[in-house]
Order: sequence, then structure tokens, then C-alpha cells
Amino acid sequence: MTRTAVHPGLYDPNQDTPNLMGTQCDACSTRFFPPLGIGCEVCGSEHLAAITMPTTGTVHSTTTVHLYTGKDIEAPFTMAEISLDDGPLIRATLTDVTEDDVIGARVRGEWFTMEKDDDGNDRVEPRFRIIEDGA
Amino acid sequence: MSVSTRLKDLRPIYVVGVGLHPYQKPSEKPYTALGVTAVRAALADAGLAWSDVESAYTGTATTAMGMSRLMYRHLGATGIPMAQVENASASGSTAFRQACIEVGAGLSDVSIATGVDKPLGANMPQRAAGIRDLAGSRVVPFTHFALLANRYMHDHGATPEQFAMVAVKNSSNGALNPNAQRQQARTLEEVLAPPQISGTLTKLQCCPVGAGAAAVIVASEDAITRLGLDRRRAVRVLASTSRSETVYRGENFDAALTKQTTAQALAEADLQPADLDVVELHDAFTVEELLYVEAMGLCGEGEAAARLADGEFDIGGRVAVSTSGGLLSMGHPIGPTGAGQICEIVTQLRREAGERQHPSARVGLAHMVGVGAVCVVHVLSME
Repeated sequence: MTRTAVHPGLYDPNQDTPNLMGTQCDACSTRFFPPLGIGCEVCGSEHLAAITMPTTGTVHSTTTVHLYTGKDIEAPFTMAEISLDDGPLIRATLTDVTEDDVIGARVRGEWFTMEKDDDGNDRVEPRFRIIEDGA
Repeated sequence: MSVSTRLKDLRPIYVVGVGLHPYQKPSEKPYTALGVTAVRAALADAGLAWSDVESAYTGTATTAMGMSRLMYRHLGATGIPMAQVENASASGSTAFRQACIEVGAGLSDVSIATGVDKPLGANMPQRAAGIRDLAGSRVVPFTHFALLANRYMHDHGATPEQFAMVAVKNSSNGALNPNAQRQQARTLEEVLAPPQISGTLTKLQCCPVGAGAAAVIVASEDAITRLGLDRRRAVRVLASTSRSETVYRGENFDAALTKQTTAQALAEADLQPADLDVVELHDAFTVEELLYVEAMGLCGEGEAAARLADGEFDIGGRVAVSTSGGLLSMGHPIGPTGAGQICEIVTQLRREAGERQHPSARVGLAHMVGVGAVCVVHVLSME
């Protein structure tokens, strides 16, 4: 069975564990996620290469969202800013948070199945979970 | 970075008239009626006729394209140059900056900046840029700022009650402002009461977005003399600075940008943070006031909540912050907001603010940030 991505172009849904598809500047080596393709925000170089980044990182901040009008997730849920080990600060959904202050905790993305698409494939997105340090 | 000319190096620029249409819940009232009300009030305040105004900039972000002439025609179509200025939440601030530049450079002797908006439709640029991220619609502005609040609590040991005290102070100021959208003073218990929106933010810790208008008339010394305006009520514009986000590597961009832009504005005005008497800042969410008073250098890092509790930012305190009620109570109709801040600073510096007058007001600063991100800061003084 193949999986399909909720966010096409940001990850390959058919890997065993999620990786993020970003870019890296050939000139100054800065890494970006979501990918910047047109030019580098730091140095203006036009040359950016596609890279894949592991989802491991450290929690920078979190918040519990109570008011949400979208239909793809039920409130309350937790959003996090995550400082990826590869550099970028990203925002993603954090699952199974039991403590108030998890800033500094180590996290990693795992597949979450949102629904079946019209062809019966799982539509997936990466959600993040706190892992034991060094895991 | 080279800055070839400071605003202060141009010929002197004065605010000679301010006027508002009260900020209010969205209604059927057309933007043309909102804007013309503010313009007529500013003209009357200055003692000017519309035919004296030589150029017009309209700060707007959420209403319609090409909206200036349909509004200003109701004052008599004089054929002057006019254009919309869109800079997200800083649209009104940027329209004011354009009017200042126009007068300072000598292109006009009298120019008007009018902020006006109805919340008919705002498009975030990410969609048009084809940018998607993992968060999508799960992070909207209140969640962006709730994330900042949580990080601030972690870094400085602040409490949800300390954030809420910002709304308590600003609601008490807004209760004295007839142009404010929220005119009710609130207790700490009321501010903390549900509905909970995101993280520590409750409804009363998020600004209302409604409709309204604010107009500011800028003039040269020549115009003040030639048109016989009241020189004692003219407020000098000492600095106008505008910057955009760079790469801050983890530091919050709104705070970093505020720090840079405010420092540049104060340097251009030859002033220190301690010289400021009244400050209007972008308190769309309570956490922002704490972040920005620290970024502006009004107190040390991590000290804002304690200084707020001491009453230092109250009317009558060391430096009065958001005497208008701020975005939290006066409201944030987007286009008008930055121009409305100038109206409040001018009113304070003229000592015409009535019940909400800050006693020693002589130097004021107005600050807005906007989606992008951009930051616009003005420093004004009564000579």
C-alpha cells in the first residue's frame, strides 16, 4: 500500500520514518524548511540544492490551541516551535504532551494517518513526539 | 548600512491636525463615510480647508483596491495626487511616513495620511507565494503570539496573570477614550476568564479587529505661517524609521526588529529611551507589550512584568504606554491603527487628552509591526 502526503513536496510519505524535504544554499550553506527555491534569504544566492533533513530537534516553545475553525484536527491540540538539529526553526503539531513546560525536550516526527484518500491510501503527515534524550 | 539623509535633516515637519472616526464593530457604514469623518475632523482641528491639502496617502490593507479617490471626492475633487499605502498592520504608519517625506522633501507644503479600513478581506502572502508549511492554518496570529508568551514564561518566570495585567491597564485607558472600540475597564478576573483562545491568551488579551478611520495632516513651517495655523499646537516629527526583518537565528523577529528600528529612530532624534514620556505600541496581544517595552529599552530584559505591576507604564507613571487603550482596547482596524497612534501621541503632547492625559508628556513614540515582517517607528516632540 502506498501512502500520500497531506503536504505534497514537504516530505516523502513512503519512507518508513519521516524526513523533511528542504533546501541548502550552495554559497553560504544555510538550510531552509519549508524549502526556499528562488533565492537564499541570507546571501541572495540563486543556487539552492534540495536536501532531506531528519526530523529530530529540540522544543523551542509550545502552545495549546483552544480556538480552531479548521476541520483537520480537533481542538484542543498542541502546536510547537521546534529547532531542528539541521538548523531551521519549524512549527508542527506535537502529540501526547503531558507536562506544562516541555521547552528543551528532544522530539522526533512520526507518521500520523489523517484519513483514507479516494484510492484507499493513507493520507499522512508528520506529527512530533517527545523522545528520551539520546534516543 | 548607509543612511544618507535623516528625516531631521530635511526641512522641519509638523503635525497640525488629527481626527478620528471611532473604531467599532464592522457595520454597513461604507469606508468612504468612515474616512471622510476622520478627514473633516482633522481639517477642523488644524483650521484648514480641503483645498489647502496638496497630497494624500491612504493607509489600508483589507478593504479594496484604488479606494482613495472615491473617498476624498466627497471633500471636493481638487485633483491632488493620491495613492493607497499597504504595509499590513503598519499601513497607517507607512502612509504617515510618506506624508512626512513628501512635506520634508518640499514636494508638498500640506499632506494628509488617512488610515481607513473595513475587514472585508485580507490575504496572507504565503498562499500567493506558494509557501506551505507543516503548521498551515493551525497557526494563526494568536497562536504565533501564544508561542512567544510560553517562551517568555520559560525564560523569565512570568505568569499568565502578569500577561493579563497588560490588558487590565490598557482597558482602563481605553475606558477614557471615546474613540476606542472597547471602552470598558476590566479586572484581572475578567481578563483571565474564558474563552481561552491559545496558550495563556484569553479573548480579552487579543485585540478586536473592526472598522474605523484616523487622519493626520502634516505641514511645513512655510504652510503654518502662510495659512495662519496655530504654531503652539503644532507637533514636530523628529524621526521616521522603517525597517524589515533580516535573519535572526532563533531570536524572535518582531522583538529583534522592534529593537533595531526603535534604536535607529531614537538615534536619529538624538534621544534616549529615558527621554520618552508617551509610547503607543503594537499590543495586538498582551505578551507583545512586555516584549516590546524591553526591546525599546524602557526597562531591562525580563523586567517588564514587574515594572508594569509597579505602575511605571500607567498614565502618570514613568512612561505612559498605550494611553489610547492600545490595540487591545482602542482596537486594531488595520489601516487606521498606525495613524490613530499618531493622533493619540499628538493629543497627549498638546496636553489635550482630558481624563487620560499623561501629566509630563513632551516626547512620544509610535510603533507598529506588520506581517512580512516590517516595523515602523515615529518620534514626535512638542517644541
